[in-house]
Amino acid sequence: MKIVTSREELLKPLTMVGGVVEKRQTLPILANILINADQDRLKITATDLEVELKTEASVTKSEEVDFTLPARKLIDICRALPDSTEISLDIQGEKAVIIAGRSRFTLGVLPAKDYPAIEIEGAIKGIRVQEGVLKNLIDKTQFAMAQQDVRYYLNGLLLEIADGVLRAVATDGHRLAMSEAVEGLEGAEDFQIIIPRKAVLELGRMLNDSDREIAIEVGSNNVRIIMGDTIFTSKLIDGKFPDYQKVVPVGTDKQVIVDRESMRQALHRTSILSNEKYRGIRFNFAKDNLELLAHNPEQEEAKEELEITYDGEKLVIGFNVGYLIEVLTVISGDNVVLELKDENSSCLIRSQEGDSSRYVVMPMRI
Amino acid sequence: MHLDMDAFFASVEQRDNPEYRGKPVVVGAMPGRRGVVSTCSYEARKYGICSAMPISEAHRRCPDAIYLRPDMARYVAVSKKVMLALGEISPVVEPVSIDEAYIDISGMERLIGEPVEIGRLTKLKIREVVGLDCSAGIGPNRLIAKLASEYQKPDGLVVIRPEQIQAFLDPMPVSNLRGVGPKARQELEQLGVYTVKHLKTYSLDVLRGYFGDNGGQHLYNQARGIALDQVGTKGGRKSISKESTFNEDVIDQRQLRECLRGLAAEVGRTARSKCLKGRVVTMKIRLDGFETHTRQKKLRNATSADGVVLNIAWNLYQESGFAGRPVRLIGLGISEWGGSEPMGDLFDDPEECKREEHLYAAMDEVTKKFGRGKLSLGLKKRD
Repeated sequence: MKIVTSREELLKPLTMVGGVVEKRQTLPILANILINADQDRLKITATDLEVELKTEASVTKSEEVDFTLPARKLIDICRALPDSTEISLDIQGEKAVIIAGRSRFTLGVLPAKDYPAIEIEGAIKGIRVQEGVLKNLIDKTQFAMAQQDVRYYLNGLLLEIADGVLRAVATDGHRLAMSEAVEGLEGAEDFQIIIPRKAVLELGRMLNDSDREIAIEVGSNNVRIIMGDTIFTSKLIDGKFPDYQKVVPVGTDKQVIVDRESMRQALHRTSILSNEKYRGIRFNFAKDNLELLAHNPEQEEAKEELEITYDGEKLVIGFNVGYLIEVLTVISGDNVVLELKDENSSCLIRSQEGDSSRYVVMPMRI
Repeated sequence: MHLDMDAFFASVEQRDNPEYRGKPVVVGAMPGRRGVVSTCSYEARKYGICSAMPISEAHRRCPDAIYLRPDMARYVAVSKKVMLALGEISPVVEPVSIDEAYIDISGMERLIGEPVEIGRLTKLKIREVVGLDCSAGIGPNRLIAKLASEYQKPDGLVVIRPEQIQAFLDPMPVSNLRGVGPKARQELEQLGVYTVKHLKTYSLDVLRGYFGDNGGQHLYNQARGIALDQVGTKGGRKSISKESTFNEDVIDQRQLRECLRGLAAEVGRTARSKCLKGRVVTMKIRLDGFETHTRQKKLRNATSADGVVLNIAWNLYQESGFAGRPVRLIGLGISEWGGSEPMGDLFDDPEECKREEHLYAAMDEVTKKFGRGKLSLGLKKRD
């Protein structure tokens, strides 16, 4: 049984699904990718039991056959071959022979019937959105997801439809990122799901900023995102996301407008001499002036002054500089609004241009 | 000065039960059940029995020995008397364990006399107060003092002056040094290193290469007799942990969780009584065949709450990949004392925190009054 294709046809889909394969697996077959071949197409699937990614590759010729091959090795072989090499793949029982130019590789095959699949269950709710819209929601929020937090429901991204708004929320308890989209969602059924961290990172990498329509299908335990030939499936985190609306500060009486890029650069410079562990920086807000101050345990010091638009009382407050830099990196627009109350209350950050993303950052005792 | 009671548990038993004297006494688990030797008398050591040996092995070596379960309450009482007596010698006493202490005797020559005199007096005093033998080692730092007290056990008294350090250390087998267990010893032996003298010929870089930055530095220092010379009364406990060995291997998840719950309650109570909160939770597990593993998780905020410790330890167990295998021993603990990060949490509810504090304070009060295990936190339903 022979499959004939080219390096390029194979490499692109392989690299795409390759990211899902874990370096250390609990089952040997999880190191493999599943290939379902028919006359002119290959369906390629990778899974880690949490996330499953399926895509297609066109081939010059093939027969109907299903098998699995070691993902890492296959990708490395394709990558190492010269451009536009013709590849022929021949399954001979428990071995696969790959011939490309004057190279010949024999790889171990595991049976396709043993390859685990994620079944989507329960009543399926679905919406269709533009690919770029989902990408934007993820890009604007994913950095705030928790990592290995005891509160397992924070180790992921909340995606919900409520009152015709599609919203993504991520938080690790210290900061929160929230982004919304409304276009074309009239009449969509409400849902609320938490997509695990790894799946979110994978999705963020895969999605393009295009206006192609994609489908999001939500089952009771899974979410499936269909992008043309490519189908992404992930298990969901079974838990209750905290009430994020409650932590969005209200009653802020101080409004500061800063130039996004100059603030980001100033913070970056100041951060060099902040405490490496806590990364605290002191913010000194005065009329139209912001002073940034950082100290490290070696008693070294960094100081910056920045022109801002501010007409309120003086305020001294500490923040983890890393959290602010991350917000300023993803937020859109040239001018950013910081809404503050006092040194113990969290800060709300949004774009002045009315971007639909909002960020909350907890202050730090300095 | 380092002072170590000789075969402490066994000696207490021999003191209180004259019929045991001169006979091999083994304190620890009972033969036929699981567990290890805690302490054995010097008569028992002649049969090759030693501390931490599985009890079955001890029984094989000497079936006629007197086997006793430890009576901790009695030993603690004796230990307290010993520590009090040491306090009369010097105000700076650092108990290391129930039968061991460091005593700072620097600058006491004028008061009592030569170091050897101080040692003699201390041993005499302990014999007077509790009627037991001990071994004392006197040296310029903790390492030398400890090695000196081990040098002439039992009933030893060894004084090492600063100029004698190298002569004292050089002929010692490397396994006498701190942190040289079977593994490190094997590695050293592969290098052909058996004695401290030989170890000294290796440079710091080489030792670091073999034993890691810290391990290498530690060995390098020890070979030269370099160690801390401070004796602190505070001591400074590094961790609080509890573990439990099962009579028969356990697979039942409910039973394991139940066991961890009890241990978490103990750890939490001990930590709270000492006003300590830990930032690291450790889960320890020993499977069949003595295969032992530990897993740790670092927390964002230090805790002493039973519930938090239990849940994290349980998750560590679940994620360890050992769930479902027969368990011989399971334990948990907390370490790395500290407060919270200098940053609050968006979802912390101050009311809830206060409520929890009250809850644990009340529980500790009840436990103090009515004893362990009378009141425990309800089990959350898990499916």
